[in-house]
Amino acid sequence: MTIDSTALTQAPLAGPTPKSMLPKVGLRLPRSPKVIAGLALLAPFAVVAVIGRWISPYSPNATDPQHWVQHVLVPGTGPGTGITANYYPLPLPPSAEHWLGTTVFAQDVLSQVLTSTQATLFVGLIAAVIATVLSILFGVTAGYFGGNADEVLSLISNVFLAIPGLPLLIVLADYVPSAGSSILLVAFIIAVTAWAYSSRVLRAQTLSLRNRDFVEAARVTGEGRFRIILAEILPNLVPIVAASFLFTTLYAIYAYVAISFLGLGGSPTSSPPGLWNWGEMLREGFANNAIRGGWWWWWAPPGLCVALLGTGLALVNFGIDEFINPRLRVAGLTRKAAKKAGITSHATLGMTPVVGNRPAVPSLAARSQNVGDAVLEIHGLSVDYGYGDDAVHAVVDCDLVLRRGRVLGLAGESGSGKSTLALAAIRLLRSPAVITGGQVLFHSKPIGGDGPRGTIDMLASDKEELRSVRWSEISVVLQSSMNALNPVITIGAQFDDLLRVHRPKLSRSARVERSGELLDMVGINADRLRSYPHELSGGMRQRAMIAIALALEPQVMILDEPTTALDVVTQREILEELIGLRDRLGFAALFITHDLSLLVELADEIAVMYAGRLMERAPAASLFNAPRLPYTHGLIHCFPPMHGKRERMQGIPGSPPDLNDLPKGCAFHPRCAWAMEQCRHDVPQLAPVNGSAREVACWLHRGDAKVPAELARPDPGVAEVHA
Amino acid sequence: MSAVLRRLLVYFLAAWVAITVSFLLPRVVPGNPVAGAVARASQSGNCNAQCVIAVEEQLGFNVHTSLWDQYVQYMGNLAHGNLGQSWSENAPVSNLILSYLPWTLGLLVVSTTISFFGGTALGIWMAWRRGSWFEWVLPAATFFQALPYFFLALVLVLIFGQTGTMLKWFPSLFGYDIYVVDPGPNWPYITSVLSHAILPAATVVLSSIAGFILSMRNQMVTTMDEDFVLVAAAKGLPTRTVIWYAARNALLPVVSNFTIAISLVVAGQILVEIVFNYPGIGFHLFDALSKLDYSLVQGIFVVITLVVLGANLLADVAYVLIDPRARQAA
Repeated sequence: MTIDSTALTQAPLAGPTPKSMLPKVGLRLPRSPKVIAGLALLAPFAVVAVIGRWISPYSPNATDPQHWVQHVLVPGTGPGTGITANYYPLPLPPSAEHWLGTTVFAQDVLSQVLTSTQATLFVGLIAAVIATVLSILFGVTAGYFGGNADEVLSLISNVFLAIPGLPLLIVLADYVPSAGSSILLVAFIIAVTAWAYSSRVLRAQTLSLRNRDFVEAARVTGEGRFRIILAEILPNLVPIVAASFLFTTLYAIYAYVAISFLGLGGSPTSSPPGLWNWGEMLREGFANNAIRGGWWWWWAPPGLCVALLGTGLALVNFGIDEFINPRLRVAGLTRKAAKKAGITSHATLGMTPVVGNRPAVPSLAARSQNVGDAVLEIHGLSVDYGYGDDAVHAVVDCDLVLRRGRVLGLAGESGSGKSTLALAAIRLLRSPAVITGGQVLFHSKPIGGDGPRGTIDMLASDKEELRSVRWSEISVVLQSSMNALNPVITIGAQFDDLLRVHRPKLSRSARVERSGELLDMVGINADRLRSYPHELSGGMRQRAMIAIALALEPQVMILDEPTTALDVVTQREILEELIGLRDRLGFAALFITHDLSLLVELADEIAVMYAGRLMERAPAASLFNAPRLPYTHGLIHCFPPMHGKRERMQGIPGSPPDLNDLPKGCAFHPRCAWAMEQCRHDVPQLAPVNGSAREVACWLHRGDAKVPAELARPDPGVAEVHA
Repeated sequence: MSAVLRRLLVYFLAAWVAITVSFLLPRVVPGNPVAGAVARASQSGNCNAQCVIAVEEQLGFNVHTSLWDQYVQYMGNLAHGNLGQSWSENAPVSNLILSYLPWTLGLLVVSTTISFFGGTALGIWMAWRRGSWFEWVLPAATFFQALPYFFLALVLVLIFGQTGTMLKWFPSLFGYDIYVVDPGPNWPYITSVLSHAILPAATVVLSSIAGFILSMRNQMVTTMDEDFVLVAAAKGLPTRTVIWYAARNALLPVVSNFTIAISLVVAGQILVEIVFNYPGIGFHLFDALSKLDYSLVQGIFVVITLVVLGANLLADVAYVLIDPRARQAA
């Protein structure tokens, strides 16, 4: 009887999961198979709880003397005890007359089970109602008012939580002799021992809600405290309250069954009569040697009823958990679906599966001969979330070439697929992502260390081959350094694990020295090796992450919005540092951002993504000063430049498209000021503009379409590229 | 107030509340609990004249001192380790509990350790191999989790117990073979104790492991979505290191919820001991209840509370050891 619910054991939610690309958010609670299975289990019990009395074939107390065929001696009576011999009938196994057999008192077991359902369920429900009300009163008040009220109320609930529930319940029930005869009284006593846990959870959740914008807003507009609690806080607690209600129902049923099993619920045949419930049936069976006698039909049905009811409640609770915590839901990939898609390897972290029968990329050999200074080549890469008809096409047919020592910027709004593209290339996307097509080649010429040389086909690589290039040749810096550093080990240990695995020859002291050097390189004192991530500021953490990323002198660094979470000043410092490091160490960088103005200063070349497709690709200066794509034009004009004259911001009307429901034709056409008829029907492909080195996927630049003046500015970078 | 002091205050208050409740209840419950208790007891033929006097004294009935004086005396006695006299066993309650406690603690420590570490390991594995054949454990675990401990005990006795009717593999009554072996440091006694512990321990492990599996699995699934786990994989660290990084973080909420887990395990074990007539405090609590030996009931309740508080304190220490943030707050 251990009950668990992540909804209740989790840290309070800090808003919607950031940055996660959850393609299927529409999964509602009742549609979850777990909830349906749970409700299906619970429904019969609910019905029987109401009508059980009337559908039971016999009275639960009635004995059936006609069937007293064989008799057993009551222990402690008969010859040698001085007490007149007393006999029980032998209980009858299940038969047509008694579907679940009879007890040793010749009572009908089925009738007892049916009658017992009522008290058992009602005690559970009523206790849960009382406990939930108590926990809301204590938890929400403590969480909302804070200060001394919180101190006192939290102390009370923590004290109640620390006292073991069942023993307290036993003592309480034992001293209240008539408890067993009143559903309300039993339920109340159980509730007293059960409310504390939910109260603690609700307090934590209220605390985090209290400071949210919508609550602040209500407070500023002068709404009363209780109105805020009722109108703003409670509605947001509904899933948690529901989870804790089910949890408490379950607990209360167990508790009631347990104290009845101990004989504290009162016997239905004594005075005052206790109520028939499953625990009482189990007690009678156990006390009358039903185990020794092998009369399983007597005690097994009530026990199984508890277990089935408990399973039903737990399943519904799982559904609520998945509703509250979407991470539990996106399991996505069943084995069957994977097999169908031709994926043999299992989807584990760091091994994004690749569809076996993905379309071959043409003219690979020709390309490979012209590798030139390319270090990472991505050809025709496509990525889906999920399999089959439900799959969301997050990245479609993308080509990118990262050149040695250069910075390639990858820009787009959130959800455009830019991170997906980059992480897919190095097989780091999580389930349910699947690489459905394309090829990724890594041309390795290690700068330092002893990494592999030559061309590595990333999508065909096995785990060991991937591991040999990971970090030593390709490292990654993610957006939020708070989450990218392991919170429970020191910064030093996060250098050390890396060096120990990839540079096994280094001694311990050499590793520490190297880690210190690296921190020093990004302007952090080597003392900080002993610090934990939470002891550093956001900027310092990101610097430390960059230092870790440089530890093995990689040829490629993938920077996934490395400065987005930082303030502008820190952002600038870190970017300047990155430029300096790049010049000094000569790594190539794939820099992902939604802020085009950042890239102008940093990148050699920029690619723009929209709705999973590459839409424009050009040298940085060309793209920024003379965009050819309406979308790029919009992006540039929605961020103020860090330097330069003030300009009027325009932004892009509308919002990023839903990948589940992309418009036909060019995905951008609904938001495009210059959309033509053709844009609504045909998807434009990336192609050179007027024979220059830059490419754009836009019908405005094809055929005899008239190019708007905004998209036809003179290109400052073309000459440079041709030279 | 530092976090440590705060926790200690909670435990201190919890112990005080438990003690006070068990003192106060029989004295303030409306009606005449003594008459009711005696009536119930004589109905079952368990209460003789000596019992009636003892019960009256225990419940502060016919005792002509004020409630406060009784309380002061009760607390004073407790402070000296004096939990009163058990009339049914005719021995000091504290001595009796000391003789019951090793059985309970032994069973509790062994089965909780197996269950916690085994369940956590399985939960980690399930989260890591999500979507594999291993997922079938999920519904099975849910069902096992929903089985009341004592019902599972009854099923195991029926199937495997020597007092059952089927396989009769393991002893299923008492803590050792009371008719054959002499308690003491001799081999037959030790093997007898061990073989008698198999079924009770199996019951506690089977009933409690599902909870640990499910909570660790869910926490692990949630933690594996964190960036630092992805970074660990990107760093090319061996798979076991990546798993360990996620697991150590996922463990934090599991450990901090050990409070409720251990309460439930203790509650379950009380009932399991009753089914097996296992001579720990749970079985004797049941026995004392039926004999209306209130001083023994109160004593056992206080001791169970202290055991659970002790386990909580251990969990707090473990938490501080694995979470540097808590270490600094402490």
